[in-house]
Amino acid sequence: MTDDIAYWFSYLTNGKHLTWYASFQFTIFAALAGGTLAVVFGLIGATLKNSRFFPLRLIGTTYSSIVRGVPDVLFFLFFPLAFEQAVEWLVATQVCSPEAIAVQTAAWPPCKEANWFLGTPEYLILASVSLGLVYGAFATNVIHGALRSVPHGQLEAARAYGMSAAQVLWRVHIRQMWVYALPGLSNVWMLIVKATSLLSLLQIADIVLWADRLGAPNFLPTVGLVHEDWRWRYYLVLFVFYILVTLISEKAFNAIMRRAGRGILSEAQ
Amino acid sequence: MKKIILAAAAILSLTSVSQAQETIRIATEGAYAPWNFLDDAGKPAGFEIELGNAICEKAALTCEFIINDWDSIIPNLLAGNYDVIMAGMSITDERLETIDFTQNYFPPDPSKFVATTGKAIDPSALEGKRVGVQGSTIQAAYAQENLAGNNTIVSFGTADQAMADLAAGNLDTILADAAYLEPVVTASGGTLEFVGEDILIGDGVGAGVRKDEAELKGKFDTAITALKADGTLDTLIAKWFEGRGPYFAE
Amino acid sequence: MERFIQELALFAPAVLFNIYFAAASIPIGFVLAIGLALGKASSNPWLSRPSRAFVYAFRGSPLFIQFFMFYSLALSFNVSLWKPWGVSWFVLHPLFIGPLVLTLNTGAYTAEIFYGALRAVPRGEVEAARAYGMSRAQQFRQVIWPNLIRLAWPAYTNEVVFLFHATAIVYFALPVIGLQKDLMITAKELFERDYNAFLHFSVAALYFLAVSLVVFFLFGLVYQRLMRHMPAPPRMRFQPKWIR
Repeated sequence: MTDDIAYWFSYLTNGKHLTWYASFQFTIFAALAGGTLAVVFGLIGATLKNSRFFPLRLIGTTYSSIVRGVPDVLFFLFFPLAFEQAVEWLVATQVCSPEAIAVQTAAWPPCKEANWFLGTPEYLILASVSLGLVYGAFATNVIHGALRSVPHGQLEAARAYGMSAAQVLWRVHIRQMWVYALPGLSNVWMLIVKATSLLSLLQIADIVLWADRLGAPNFLPTVGLVHEDWRWRYYLVLFVFYILVTLISEKAFNAIMRRAGRGILSEAQ
Repeated sequence: MKKIILAAAAILSLTSVSQAQETIRIATEGAYAPWNFLDDAGKPAGFEIELGNAICEKAALTCEFIINDWDSIIPNLLAGNYDVIMAGMSITDERLETIDFTQNYFPPDPSKFVATTGKAIDPSALEGKRVGVQGSTIQAAYAQENLAGNNTIVSFGTADQAMADLAAGNLDTILADAAYLEPVVTASGGTLEFVGEDILIGDGVGAGVRKDEAELKGKFDTAITALKADGTLDTLIAKWFEGRGPYFAE
Repeated sequence: MERFIQELALFAPAVLFNIYFAAASIPIGFVLAIGLALGKASSNPWLSRPSRAFVYAFRGSPLFIQFFMFYSLALSFNVSLWKPWGVSWFVLHPLFIGPLVLTLNTGAYTAEIFYGALRAVPRGEVEAARAYGMSRAQQFRQVIWPNLIRLAWPAYTNEVVFLFHATAIVYFALPVIGLQKDLMITAKELFERDYNAFLHFSVAALYFLAVSLVVFFLFGLVYQRLMRHMPAPPRMRFQPKWIR
């Protein structure tokens, strides 16, 4: 019995499993960075949407409706590729000599010097930015609505105090907006958490990739423990992990909402 | 603003390019034992990893292995995310249109059908069977062309996933490289068996490189020639593929 | 331009798979959701606890993981259950297990929408119905359901659009049979051949956008019909929200 426990303990703490546990950092990083960026893009988008200048308003509206009209996976795959090619093109206009372009036989990049290597850190950042862009479009909508929910009297009072338009926006409008935006933003956060399961599509060795590799059946003793198909057990662990993250996030958001809602009469509570 | 972006982009790319010149990145799948797999320490291991390290030692290069999914392994080579593919990839005319290969480091090897013992599958007259292949492989192309008419071709992301479906009885047979299947069939202790005739496709396994990397390809070719001549390659093949070789002994 | 039109034609069979996945899972998911929403609102803990747990689990975890898990789980029962029952040939088929997982998933999301709407049904109307001596079934059919569906319809429209978007990941997790490929796999394979991300992914995006717009239009018509008793029926706009 104790032998069994010791055996399974050593199996579950071998290097392959430890790498799996360590890979949770990618998921957590992508969620946190993606969430922060989503709020940033959401603020930018909502400001654009509120702008008095028509072209800016158009950009804000187009951004939030096009991105939401397309599956997140599609944008998630497309953005890093497109960004990489765009950067390589920009660099190519600066560093490629005509001779180098003439020598180049491959379809892309224009010359060898313009090639941009993407490893795990780069992909992780690009993935976070692309999560931020996708869910920023949703956050734009949330924040846009929240900005309109701030009682008009508050803004008028601020203006009456002689605040400039920027002061009204930053000191009164956006500060009071959070209470109204929090329920929507908590929803966006849950979406981002779930979308982090897609990281392996960008060749990041994340929790999903390791779950597949650990669970796949093994027939060869030279490779490691010989076992049948165990994938669903590993995926079950991830299933539970995500549910726990959702549970904790929900509790945290409720606590924040209670705090942020103090002293403000609203339906958001 | 545009200048700043350009400068930043230029620095970014220059730093990564200069790094790349120091280290050669080799992509492998890590799910194709004994060719390449992830060992108990979570690191790439197997025949191609040992061979790759031997090549790099001969050619005085610093090498690093990267794990990349099989189906996007060629596009990501073209995208410049690594410089070499060593993932049990057969040299074919179709692949030669997009990338270059070094000389082969594993001779042309037949593809075989494997099935659960006693299922009485006859690959020469397959009808109404479920045939498993790994997507984007020469076997997938072969099956799609020759067997798709009367059978169901099921493509999987990795060969291990296909094996899982065969073991669970969701497939009647799998078509894959003999050198991948032989150790599996041997280790299965009689639950799996080869059926039918071998199929000869592919020109052996080589390392894939971008077409503009003639210099790197040259270094690899020289090193592989040397390893063939001094017997290292045969030793590695004998170590990882029981009963195979020697192929390159003079 | 000619290339673009060729590309559109190339993707036309692929979009049918996405539409099939959505169309096969939405009606069953709808029925499942009604049951789950009523279960969640039930005062019987043997009904409400499992419904609550089901909805929470499926809304709280990624669909991507659900696909992997259910395929692998179904595979492990192949020899013991599916084979003897003679259903093996379709249980593990992506065209069956794909919609199955999608149904469970959309059932949970839709149940949450219906549950919210159920709680928003005006109490006075329910009390009036009870005062008229209506049975519980009558109350549901004649008072609660008409209110519920009108309240829930805009959010449900959103859910349908997002479910359609979610069909994009089916074949990233399940094996591909023969040439049965959906929009994403088609785009990815074309991209892997010529490395032109802008063309292939944009065409796939256009298809998704177009079908989303059609869904909004059709569901908007239904909404107008549902709301025909109102003096000025509210119109639905293309406005995907953050529901999912």
